[in-house]
Amino acid sequence: MRKVLAVIRREFVERVRTRMFWVMALLGPVFFGALIFLPILMSRASGVKKVAVVDGTTDSTGAQVVTALVATRAVFPTRVPAGSGVVDSLTREVGAKRLDGFLILTDALVDSGKAEYRASNVSAFATNAAIEGTLSLVANAVRLERAGVNPRVVAASHIRIDMDTKKISGTRTTGENAAQSFSLAYFMAIILYMSILLYGVNVMSSVLEEKTTRIVEVLISSLRPFQLMLGKLLGVGAVSLFQFLIWGVSARALISQRAKLFGPDSMQDAGQVFQMPSVSLETAFVFIAYFLGGFLLYSSMYAAVGAISSSEQEARQAQQPVNFMLIISFMAMFAILNDPGSQLAVTLSLIPFSAPIAMPVRWAAGNLPWQEVALSLGILAVTIIGVTWVAARIYRVGILMTGKRPSMKEMIRWVRAG
Amino acid sequence: MTDSILVVDRVTKRFAGHTAVDELSLEVPAGVIYGLLGPNGAGKTTTIRMIMNILLPDSGSVRLFGGGGTAREYAGRIGFLPEERGLYPKMRVLDVLTFLAEVKGLDRRVARAKSSDWLNRLGLEDWALHKVRDLSKGMQQKVQFIATMLHEPDLVLLDEPFGGLDPVNADMLLETVLDLKRRGKTILFSTHIMEQAEKLCDQLCIIARGKKLVDGSLAHVKETHGGRHVTVSFDGAQGNSAAVFADRRLVAKVQDFGPYAELELAQGADAQEILRALVGSGARLSRFELTAPSLHKIFVDLVGPDAVTAVAHEKGAPAHA
Repeated sequence: MRKVLAVIRREFVERVRTRMFWVMALLGPVFFGALIFLPILMSRASGVKKVAVVDGTTDSTGAQVVTALVATRAVFPTRVPAGSGVVDSLTREVGAKRLDGFLILTDALVDSGKAEYRASNVSAFATNAAIEGTLSLVANAVRLERAGVNPRVVAASHIRIDMDTKKISGTRTTGENAAQSFSLAYFMAIILYMSILLYGVNVMSSVLEEKTTRIVEVLISSLRPFQLMLGKLLGVGAVSLFQFLIWGVSARALISQRAKLFGPDSMQDAGQVFQMPSVSLETAFVFIAYFLGGFLLYSSMYAAVGAISSSEQEARQAQQPVNFMLIISFMAMFAILNDPGSQLAVTLSLIPFSAPIAMPVRWAAGNLPWQEVALSLGILAVTIIGVTWVAARIYRVGILMTGKRPSMKEMIRWVRAG
Repeated sequence: MTDSILVVDRVTKRFAGHTAVDELSLEVPAGVIYGLLGPNGAGKTTTIRMIMNILLPDSGSVRLFGGGGTAREYAGRIGFLPEERGLYPKMRVLDVLTFLAEVKGLDRRVARAKSSDWLNRLGLEDWALHKVRDLSKGMQQKVQFIATMLHEPDLVLLDEPFGGLDPVNADMLLETVLDLKRRGKTILFSTHIMEQAEKLCDQLCIIARGKKLVDGSLAHVKETHGGRHVTVSFDGAQGNSAAVFADRRLVAKVQDFGPYAELELAQGADAQEILRALVGSGARLSRFELTAPSLHKIFVDLVGPDAVTAVAHEKGAPAHA
């Protein structure tokens, strides 16, 4: 055991000593924050769109739309009367990037709710939503007025709705709203994915280093291969926990001091989609449990990958299947968030290879019975034992092997051989 | 023999249809320097790996310290220098040494103190806190030797220890090995350089193509396999010495280098008779000396020129036989 401890200590000390570790420790939160907020900021900060409104309406509806669009501040509209050749010349303008797009209005807007928007980019959701909302508002108003409703009543009938969502956790309604649940799930999925990948690959390079420097022969004559692998997994695992501890402590300090640091309403401005979720003790437990499970599962596979490769390039190739499983689990997050109780979500959170990301996401989305968590953790634990056993056998032969990478058939033979 | 510290009993190792080591048996008594000699690809490294339990023999057994148990269980009593050297390039010298000693079962503090001692002894004290990769190749080799000897093993296995050493480090290693022997340790080393073996070995074993050709003490090997040799140097005139050399009743084999020649006496021949014959042939001699053959010569005679061909048929397994 003392020998394993020496391996654990080496892995831990050598890693914590690197500049990379402290860069990650200090800049990690910034990095994750950027990863989360940048896409939102970028989608919002796409700027005010220059849009022409081709007004083919026979009344003042077109003018009303232009006025209403100005008020959205999402688009900057210019009214162009409809005429022959207008559409063609505007299309050229868009092509030359002097214009973002143009809206074609006819009486059909009010009569049957039809309009057309042509633009170089029709997937800018914020712009589309602003235009669509405005059109529907104006069309409604015009139809109501035509039906004889007093324009003042129509104006007064407009009210903006802010729907407040509250999550039911167990039988108790928490203060947490949907946005917080979403951001918690998102945070956890990203951090789990990145960390399992990062530290798994760390284990792999460590195995590879010992193999390529041939120091492994000296080690193997003093330690069992399994002791060496175990020491590596635990050592690197300890580094990752230390990293989380640093992040946790600094995040806590930052949140408690945020009023002093950024002024009292800084958090309101931070964005409505992402809000600071409250991280309960249970959530922290679920996160750590699944992180450790995922780390052990994946890094023992990465250890085997390191053992069968004899260079960085080879390892990069050989690790693809393992990466792939992790990426699928991460991608599935969006489907799970959409419906955390669906057949797919439940299945993914029970399959041990996707559970480390899928289950915490479901947990964050809410209202998960403990039995299900326990079942998934149980399956995960059994799988870890199985996978580690197989990985250790591949590792044992692989680390002493040089030359060509073994075929699947050879590896199966290694696993079977006593 | 009961005082044998290492017994290799008819071990065989095959790699993909090629036999690297074939029914090889060795016995290394305590307190000697034992040379495992053979050309490249003879199976030296494979044998040492089997002794170290890095490879499992297909058949046969290895017994250490007169008991059961593998090398791993005796890790604290064995020092092992593999053929291919390597250290953690990014670790500090002192930390690498401490770690490698800890893995062999030494207490951390003891390991650290001993590492410092050794670094001082070999003049590397200023490098203790440098990273391994900052050291020159020669210094890295010294560090590697320290790692092998640090825990004061009773049995030291050195695989091609002189490979790639500069003369200064080679001498240092030679001294270290002799010092270990003086302190009662047992050393087994492999080499294909016979000059080194001749200087160091008490006992030796020559193998080729995985098979043992001869073993025993150096003197015994020379006696039984060297034959009797005469070195002759001419002082100008060689007379009709060629006829004498060609006389198979007197001379079994000759290597004629011109100004001098090495003769192997024929069975039952008397050296004095050759001397008489040479003088009679009109040759003028500056030297006529009965010599023991060099280990090099025995080696070449035994192994033959074609023994080096068995190399590198190994695939899908540790590649160095």
